[in-house]
Amino acid sequence: MIDLQAETPEKTEKIKSDLLTVNMGPQHPATHGVLRVEIKTDSEIVAEATPYLGYLHRCMEKHSENLDYRGVIPFVDRMDYLGSMSMEWGYALTIEKMLGTEVPRRAEYIRTIVGELQRVASHLMFFGTYAIDLGAFSPFLYAFQDREDILRIFEELSGARLLYNYIWIGGVWNDINDDQLRRIAKFCDTMEENLKKYHTLVGGNAIFIGRTANVGVISEEMAYRYGATGPVLRGSGIDWDLRKKRPYGLYEELDFDVIVGKGEKGQVGDCWDRYQVRVLEMFESIKIIRQCLDGIEEGPIIGKVPKIIKVPAGEIYMRTECPRGELGYHLISDGGKTPYRLKVKSSCFTHVSMLGEMAPGQMIADFVASIGSIDIVLGEVDR
Amino acid sequence: MHKEIVEFLNAQVPGCEATLVEAEVGDSTIFIQPSHIKAASLALRDSEKFQMNVLQVITGCDYEDRIEVSYILASFIFNTELILKVKLPKTDKDATVQIDSIVEVWTAADFQERECYDMIGVVFDGHPDFRRILCPEDWKGYPLRKDYVVEEVYNGMVVNPENKMNHEDHYFYKKIQEEQEDPKKVTFSWKD
Repeated sequence: MIDLQAETPEKTEKIKSDLLTVNMGPQHPATHGVLRVEIKTDSEIVAEATPYLGYLHRCMEKHSENLDYRGVIPFVDRMDYLGSMSMEWGYALTIEKMLGTEVPRRAEYIRTIVGELQRVASHLMFFGTYAIDLGAFSPFLYAFQDREDILRIFEELSGARLLYNYIWIGGVWNDINDDQLRRIAKFCDTMEENLKKYHTLVGGNAIFIGRTANVGVISEEMAYRYGATGPVLRGSGIDWDLRKKRPYGLYEELDFDVIVGKGEKGQVGDCWDRYQVRVLEMFESIKIIRQCLDGIEEGPIIGKVPKIIKVPAGEIYMRTECPRGELGYHLISDGGKTPYRLKVKSSCFTHVSMLGEMAPGQMIADFVASIGSIDIVLGEVDR
Repeated sequence: MHKEIVEFLNAQVPGCEATLVEAEVGDSTIFIQPSHIKAASLALRDSEKFQMNVLQVITGCDYEDRIEVSYILASFIFNTELILKVKLPKTDKDATVQIDSIVEVWTAADFQERECYDMIGVVFDGHPDFRRILCPEDWKGYPLRKDYVVEEVYNGMVVNPENKMNHEDHYFYKKIQEEQEDPKKVTFSWKD
């Protein structure tokens, strides 16, 4: 017969020291795409997490070396497929700055409108999927209902629902008509009403607050150390928005606030703060769109750009504020028809690297909440 | 600002030989000696005057005889940015080049250096977890080098199967790009 009493201390010690290795992904619903995180767990507690990337790697940077400057635009669309307009805008700005092209005022207005609509669409996607991560299904349906309105407008403008190829070098390719402007104005009104409802429904929910407050805290020091940008940086209480700090487009003339996490429900920089920053940013976007609708001018929609674009030799690093964070294009040109080297700095790539430090000590369910709160798109991570 | 940084670097990090390349279009860059990259980044991060507190990107560019690695730094306090570059001479066509890792200065360098190694083939000495990041572990070659040739077979799988490639279109567009200088003749529409 086995002496159970004698074995017990040894057994418990052994159980404690054994870590279980679990693969989350690449097909896990909580990873928003094809991200694999190898986690070592001590029962429910995550001891170590290592993200593995590259399941969606298409080497866009290599492709762009073989395409002319206009031909790259559809490819940058496919990197961040939830923020295509913003990706195109950043790329167009990079080339325009090198060429010294002047963009007509009407085109700038249209760009700002679609850029902000895209931000709302992207944040709605976050709002819906984040609620699903935390076990609430219905916000997803509400978010998609409103996102659909934006996609319909984009479809009319560009002919596509997801990958637009709408913002071209020098301007935009299709003009916006009065009917569409009226519909955007109407959308702003309904969206604002709905958003207030949604924010009360989800952000005021005790379970939601319990699941996100004080979870996945990113301190100010950590955010700087990792080079976090966008809503993640603002969620950590840092007042930094490129639209204010380095205005491009029309942002200099527009009036809006930068939303910063204040730690209302817990510590500064927790998941709830990042959620709140995104939701309140949507209100600011609506404010921006309204100002653009009031001020939009008549005129041409595309500036003077040579038929075959040859960017003068040199290099440039251009940063813009995308829904997910700062997007940077580092272009090296040798004066030819194609880029010599085009490096895309993606904010999601940076944010994924923070998971390894956020995870230790968290429950598995809290780790899911942390992944969701940094709002990654794997197309942009892997490029 | 760039001139002040050059003076600062030459004073603070002896031997780094910082030189300014002023650009007419685009951004100006500063070149330094590769052996002093760690000391220079530490100096820039800790200096009161510049406070480069964020590392944005580490990226490489392949040339015939050398690889240029760019470190794009930014200060979120003074709203400035800086492209710091080093030249790493290539000894052999396929060989990797070496430089010190700066993970200890900015943790952001962790993933950035791994990507730079994966794509361009720059080995960062002293990186805590050095391996490929986007390509599989057993991938051969560095895709973003200019002389990179795609392998035909990877682990028994054909990379570009004949039935999935539209060779005719591919060569047609390539021919147009190379031969036609007159923009009116290039329509990029269907062939006939």
